[in-house]
Amino acid sequence: MKLELIDYLIIGIYFIFVIGIGFLLKRKVKTGNDFLMSNRNIPLWITSLAFISANLGAQEVLGMAANGAKYGLYTAHFYWLGAALAMIFLGVFMMPFYYGSKARSVPEYLKLRFDEKTRTFNALTFAVMTVFSSGVSLYALAMLMEVVLGWNFDLSIWVAATVVFIYIFLGGLTSAVYNEVLQFFLIVLGIAPLVFIGLDKVGGWEGIVQNVDDAKLHVWKGLDSPTNNPMGVDAFSMVFGLGFVLAFGYWCTDFLVVQRAMISKNLSDAQRTPIIAAIPKILMPAIVILPGIIILALQSKFTGFDLPTNPNGDPNYNMVLPILLQKLYPNGILGVGITALIASFMSGMAGNVTAFNTVWTFDIYQSHIKKNGSEKHYYYIGKAATVAGILISIMTAYVARGFNNIMDLLQLVFSFVNAPLFATFFLGMFWKRTTGHGAFWGLLAGTGTAALTHGLTVAEGKGGWIANIHEYYSGTGQAFNIAWISFIACFVVTILISLVTQPKADEELVGLVYSLTPKQKDSSKVWYKNPLWLGVIVLVVTLVFNIIFF
Amino acid sequence: MNKLFDLRFVIGLFFLIIGLLLIGYSFLSDATEYKKEVNLYCGLLFSSFALLMFMLKQKNKDDEV
Repeated sequence: MKLELIDYLIIGIYFIFVIGIGFLLKRKVKTGNDFLMSNRNIPLWITSLAFISANLGAQEVLGMAANGAKYGLYTAHFYWLGAALAMIFLGVFMMPFYYGSKARSVPEYLKLRFDEKTRTFNALTFAVMTVFSSGVSLYALAMLMEVVLGWNFDLSIWVAATVVFIYIFLGGLTSAVYNEVLQFFLIVLGIAPLVFIGLDKVGGWEGIVQNVDDAKLHVWKGLDSPTNNPMGVDAFSMVFGLGFVLAFGYWCTDFLVVQRAMISKNLSDAQRTPIIAAIPKILMPAIVILPGIIILALQSKFTGFDLPTNPNGDPNYNMVLPILLQKLYPNGILGVGITALIASFMSGMAGNVTAFNTVWTFDIYQSHIKKNGSEKHYYYIGKAATVAGILISIMTAYVARGFNNIMDLLQLVFSFVNAPLFATFFLGMFWKRTTGHGAFWGLLAGTGTAALTHGLTVAEGKGGWIANIHEYYSGTGQAFNIAWISFIACFVVTILISLVTQPKADEELVGLVYSLTPKQKDSSKVWYKNPLWLGVIVLVVTLVFNIIFF
Repeated sequence: MNKLFDLRFVIGLFFLIIGLLLIGYSFLSDATEYKKEVNLYCGLLFSSFALLMFMLKQKNKDDEV
């Protein structure tokens, strides 16, 4: 792929704009609250788009196109089964506790609801995970640019990291969020013409149906058995493992996305943020999954669309989008497409760094090192955490380049920590008898069970490092099953320990637990301002998509 | 200066610049007809989106008045 002056010009203009947004916002950021929480003053439309854009990193854009080619439309379950329901649940049921409790972060809610050790466990694992993810994002960007465009690996890392650093350091979370909105539109408008051109070339949806294996064009049809669908999963692990445990665990408890709703102007906006975000989210498969299916049809009809292979001979599905950009985009719009990819990496990195600096400052530094500092003090600590977060990300990117196995291992360990998390929050919010000890030991038990399940099962040659008592049909199926098993373990242990330990007094739990929080009387008569009605609309549309592509 | 703080204006400005660049490039480059058309239509799409952003910003301003 060869870029021309026009393409470089477009990339350069993008860099100028993202840094410019940081400069423009600099004068508005004066305190720790401004820098880390945007002073809870961001309009609804911005929080909503930032909510999905924070998740629209490289993993989403490149990864979902790859999954589209590998698993077909079954990939849409990440949106139409997982994300949609979880985002509605977050808005309707959980946001009143996050926002209403005045917690500044998800770990801080755990402190208010349970105790300091549960918060610290969550804050530490989250902080390490976010800088690690940020580094992986940086590494993936530099690798892609090196392979596709022949750019220097070191230069890509330092340029991307410097740009992200400048706009976060200057404008804090507000700058990251504003840039996420620009990045959202750039990604959607930069990739949409590719989908249009690709569809046109294969002869529209008819062409897809004629040229792609029917097994990849359904979302439910082959789920009766793992052998009947390309994803290798069954309906139970899909619905319970992905749709409930993993999706709710991510969308309802991951501070990276929840933070975007927590900086809304008021509770009503905070509740509507994830639900309004769910509307573009359920349409995203057209942008991120469809390219993977289009390339299958193109491969069937034309030559030159083959994917490069990995060392083991399997197709490298992560190259779906770069290959389509190379083959379908002429110079000019190619610059926009490449900029959209760069934007997705930077969006992912910035989201992680801003979540990291908030959790570090409020949940680790303020909670354990300096409790009563001034607003200005925490402002500087937040800025120092941004510098540290970026530097650790760069370091992680280099480690990833040299020791890929270590990164795989770390990613696996983090997935064990994440899997049971929703059980803790669910019980904490809806069962007032849940205690801090129950939550803490439940989390540890869930994490341990996830590791144990991985050690006792095998899929695609992975796992089984203790013994092989069961073999899953695919790695995806193994991940979904690990998720629900660890959820159950966390759920049961939390209940058992809670029953034998002392709960907090009811008056301490007002605003933190469902049964002890006065129900809001919705004064809004207008349906589009009511989170419940908005949620119902999203559900109906999602249901229609599931029926159409059954 | 104030309108630079309005994100709709900033996003609109970005896409207007990119859109105009693509439209200009489609006329000036010596690429094939198909490649010129792709850039032209994408440029028009981005410019239209930019105008939509400007209109939304203006509407919001009028509502505030």
